[in-house]
Amino acid sequence: MIKRFALRSWNFLASLQVTIVALVLLMALVVLCTLAQTELGTLGAVNAYMRSFLVWRQVRGLPFPLPLFPGGALVGLVLVANLTAALIKRFEFNRRKLGLWIVHAGLILLFAGEFATGAFQVDTRMAIEEGQTVNFLESYRQMELGLSDVTDPAHTEEYGLPDPLLRAGAAIRVPGTPLTIKVKQFYVNAQLAMRAAGDPPSMANMGVGANVKVTEAPPAASDKEVNLTSAFIEPVAGGTSYGTWLVSSGMGAPQSFIHEGRTYVLSMRPRRYYLPYSVTLKKFSHDIYMGTDIPKNFSSLVHLSNPARGEERDVLIYMNQPLRYDGKAFYQASYGKGDTLSILQVVANPGWLLPYISCALITLGLLVHFCITLFNAIRRRQLDGETV
Amino acid sequence: MRKFNTKPGTTPGGPCMRRLVLPALAVSAGLLLGPGCDRDQVSHASVAKEAAPAMPAPSHASAPMAMPPGAMPPGSMPGGQLPPPPHPTGKGALKWTLPKGWTEAQGGGMRYATLTPPGAGKVEMSVVVLPGAAGGELANVNRWRGQIGLQPLDDAALGQARKAVKSKAGPVSVYDFTSAGETRTRMVTGLLATAEGNTWFFKLMGDAEPVGKAKPAFMKYLETLHLD
Repeated sequence: MIKRFALRSWNFLASLQVTIVALVLLMALVVLCTLAQTELGTLGAVNAYMRSFLVWRQVRGLPFPLPLFPGGALVGLVLVANLTAALIKRFEFNRRKLGLWIVHAGLILLFAGEFATGAFQVDTRMAIEEGQTVNFLESYRQMELGLSDVTDPAHTEEYGLPDPLLRAGAAIRVPGTPLTIKVKQFYVNAQLAMRAAGDPPSMANMGVGANVKVTEAPPAASDKEVNLTSAFIEPVAGGTSYGTWLVSSGMGAPQSFIHEGRTYVLSMRPRRYYLPYSVTLKKFSHDIYMGTDIPKNFSSLVHLSNPARGEERDVLIYMNQPLRYDGKAFYQASYGKGDTLSILQVVANPGWLLPYISCALITLGLLVHFCITLFNAIRRRQLDGETV
Repeated sequence: MRKFNTKPGTTPGGPCMRRLVLPALAVSAGLLLGPGCDRDQVSHASVAKEAAPAMPAPSHASAPMAMPPGAMPPGSMPGGQLPPPPHPTGKGALKWTLPKGWTEAQGGGMRYATLTPPGAGKVEMSVVVLPGAAGGELANVNRWRGQIGLQPLDDAALGQARKAVKSKAGPVSVYDFTSAGETRTRMVTGLLATAEGNTWFFKLMGDAEPVGKAKPAFMKYLETLHLD
């Protein structure tokens, strides 16, 4: 009974019907995702429709969202399982089928590559002004509570508490320090304004936040909006509370407190990823076609310094010519401040080669299959000729 | 539709393939679930101060070239930043006589000036000016106390802690606080409300011992404050 059920399930999983349904669902997802970009922005739509297992939507009248459609991750997973099952079930491992084996392996690798990208890829940026040296990357979307121990005149000890940890009621121990950060309130997005006479007292009793009114706002939906991530936090060390502070990406003024002679600066900032090397922008170029405002070339001449590897070299980064270093690709992405600021998009994707390998495999598989079929046809014709 | 070579009733796949399926699925699941495990931990980095200047905020005039889908648009540092108030100039600008051996540097951001006493040890003095009452004396004093882990004062205790210093610009309220703990931090602060409607804050702060040595010169400095 169980064996029969397993066999039927296996046959279903390996069936062509599943392939067709999955492909139709994928096409529908592409259309829905494209339409949703107007409301959710590109990233929001991709995350909601393509990188999720289920597409959740809020239905009017219900207090909770409902899964209304399978997400791209689920459909992709089913397609990979379907392809793999079909490959195992139907194909013989002989020379005649070699091309098809290679094509299917390439397809499976293509899906695996997309999963690897979704799971491992980290998109960050590096903004450098001419003459400046920077040794960290910043996240485009994630924020962190930055805790900087600036006591040492030569070094700053930088601690980052990423926003997934910053939830109301959380008490986060900061390793290497005597500090615990208690999160009293956290806002993914907020509006800040100076407190007026009739406003209720601020939750903050320290720093500039005592005079700031914070109103929760819906998270930024489109790519053109930016969250003003904010939190009320209470640093505690050695049983001493250092009061409640408002930290927000909308406030530039530094706020600090001192514990046992060590000065800690608080900030809400884009999540940082420190590098074991540094990049100095020597020159940014924004060339235009003569007599027009049409851009001809954007490029950044940077100096890469990695003392651990004894590397000191200049690199020119320009359109479609990224610097590939340490598993990351530094692309020329944007500029500003009167052409003295260069913004590099930095992509770390351990699976970046997979789509290239899978495309090469599919091409090779088709070529092999074509050659085998051609060879067989020629041989058959020769045999038919001999028979006649 | 092309039929592939499958014998009806046979167990799907060869024995070798069947053995490979489960481990492959386990590895795939590990790859998919693994990355989330250590991504959201508290990070730490020791950064040389001269090597890593503050990240410049992209200007709002910056322009896109090849931003990827979902990337933050140019000029994308959070808007709505609260800029520091403009420093007073002309008649509203406070003048002073620098104590002997002290050095003075122009402040940045909220700071009007930074003064450094001579001698070893961690000690520095900052001058900040804000328009209006800037929250009031009690709130500011308690904010300073909170910075070094001291409990807030009430109005009566504030009066007891206050010491007045006369200057040509007006009376300066002076407070002297020292933190608890093994490494004690001391701050000697002065508040001055000028006729122009600004509040000036003078804060001598650092390790308890060097601050104690610099305090007499700081008190003399406060007496020299004047407006043009």
